[in-house]
Amino acid sequence: MGSVVEIAPLTRLEGHGRLRVYREGGRVERIELQFVDSPRLFEALLVGKGFAEVPEIVCRICALCSTVHKVTALLAVEDTFGVEVSEVTALTRELVLQAGMIQDHALHLYCLVLPDLLGVRGVAELARVAPELLKTGLAIKKAGNMILETAGGRLIHPVNICLGGLGRCLNKKELTRLRDELHKVLPAAQEAHRLFSTPFPFPELPKPDFLALQPSERPLAGRLCQMADGSSFPLPEYRQHIKETVLDYSNAKLSRVLGKEATVGAQARLHLAPDLEPFAAQLFSAHRHELIGKDMRGNNLAQAIEMCHATERALSLVDRLIELGPQRAEAPQIHPRAGTGCGACEAPRGTLIHSYSFDPQGICTRADVITPTALNQGALARDLFALARGMEGEETNRMTTALERLIRCYDPCISCSVHILSL
Amino acid sequence: MKVAITGLTACSGCQLTLLNCEDELPELLALCELVYFPLAESGNVLDVQFDAAIVEGAVSTPKDLELLFKLRNASSVLVAYGTCALFGGVAAMNNTTSARTDLLHTVFGDAQKMPDSFAPAPLHNYVSVDAAVTGCPPEKQEILEMVAALAAGTTPPTRSYPVCTECRSRENLCLLLEKKELCLGPVVQGGCNARCPATGIVCEGCRGPVREANVAQELELLLERGFGRDEIERRMSRFKPEWNYGQRR
Repeated sequence: MGSVVEIAPLTRLEGHGRLRVYREGGRVERIELQFVDSPRLFEALLVGKGFAEVPEIVCRICALCSTVHKVTALLAVEDTFGVEVSEVTALTRELVLQAGMIQDHALHLYCLVLPDLLGVRGVAELARVAPELLKTGLAIKKAGNMILETAGGRLIHPVNICLGGLGRCLNKKELTRLRDELHKVLPAAQEAHRLFSTPFPFPELPKPDFLALQPSERPLAGRLCQMADGSSFPLPEYRQHIKETVLDYSNAKLSRVLGKEATVGAQARLHLAPDLEPFAAQLFSAHRHELIGKDMRGNNLAQAIEMCHATERALSLVDRLIELGPQRAEAPQIHPRAGTGCGACEAPRGTLIHSYSFDPQGICTRADVITPTALNQGALARDLFALARGMEGEETNRMTTALERLIRCYDPCISCSVHILSL
Repeated sequence: MKVAITGLTACSGCQLTLLNCEDELPELLALCELVYFPLAESGNVLDVQFDAAIVEGAVSTPKDLELLFKLRNASSVLVAYGTCALFGGVAAMNNTTSARTDLLHTVFGDAQKMPDSFAPAPLHNYVSVDAAVTGCPPEKQEILEMVAALAAGTTPPTRSYPVCTECRSRENLCLLLEKKELCLGPVVQGGCNARCPATGIVCEGCRGPVREANVAQELELLLERGFGRDEIERRMSRFKPEWNYGQRR
């Protein structure tokens, strides 16, 4: 007799998803991971919009990642028209990306993952059983958010980072305030790894094929996609190497990179590009054996290390911006021309790629977005299947709890992933 | 009070803004019993009576509708939470210019199985809405006001002044009149303390129309400054598809 176990809706993650485990007798036959967010059709909505509108609209794909979507879209539009930005602009962009990393990892770890570790339902119960831990997490998150609010002009869907420049430069008083706030939460960010290095009581999973951007002179943005086995390809050729298929049970497409089901995110980055700030580097070397060559169960620990790195890095960026002083560079005049450009950044959940084509008047004729969660979808499904198989014979409850916890290791962002492009 | 918080066709930004009230969060959580809040809670229950359902996002699929009807039937108060829930938002921006099926074909190709989806619409097209908070996303202050009002058994205050009111009181440079940029401040609902114009960026209209907006005058001003009708309409419809361009009160 076959039976189906369904987990719906998936909780403590962004977007709408469900998981079905199909069993035949005691045997797990297959699983279906369904990303069922309503199709938002951004790639179609952008066609016909002016080039300046594209980043403002496309950042609304997702709230959690709106900053990194905006920066990636700006890079793609600037790539098309050959726009260079000033050092202050580039540093400010990296600052908001690092802040996004801080607030996103803090939210995920302390509000969404910690309940698993403490065996509670969610953030409300956390506030009762572990108020101090929740407060610590919220304080770290707040520091990231304060940067986004100050440098981005708004915490979600930031407005201050725009094409070719900034709406306005940050003044010394604001930067000093950010520095103080970062210093205040640095010790907590340095301690976070202790909470999230708890080993997972799951069977071992298949070995992932990690993918991350090779950092360029601007950390978190890059032009070379690198796999852990040493293979790589330049960003503009991504369409030849990333193949997507439509699944009939999911609204997000399945991506294969160089024929593999790639894994992106914090652990992938630590495998491929560990250019870490001093304290984070120490943490990384102390936890190296738990991360390198391991499966995705280590990803939350990797996020904790990255959260520390991002805090340290944000401090250096703020210091550098204070040193440079407010330099109000006039944003360059952008002269649209027909062409195609692309940009890529490391979002909190992994590699994010945007590409646009414009006509001679700068009207968008094609938009393409590949999100980290779409990239991770295949590997996540593979790992879920392996885990379900590995837990055959266990109580159903124990299995579903484990499956949900594994999904949270990947920190999926379903809204982001359900933005499929034309075939 | 028993509360449901969820999203339909949306980016989760409105729900996230609630979690971004870091300082106030413990106090907010103490006011609410979060019976249904999949974004941040497991073990959710839908088949109970709620005091309030706080719903972000537009309605664009049968699943959206099903959830919305369930929540409407189960809740004393239903709050349209954010611009998408209130006006359709970015998902609805092309409602008047392209057919939904064409958009789906652009994205999914011809031979593929299409997801069930129709033109995104605000909640009030389908159910009665008791209270609204606008914004893409709403301001933290507005969320605190909303939860406090619901806990007190009333509904949150509504604002009926445009972005320009707050922009002028902050003594910002007027981007529309003095820099001749395409700013929508005069016709867009305030409450954001002119967030974008204060950073030197035009109001893109994310909070939707202010009550009694003089849309005809805004259109005329922008046309006089040399913007094309297409460009203006594209910008105006970014967060709300239909405007009455002849409206003049």
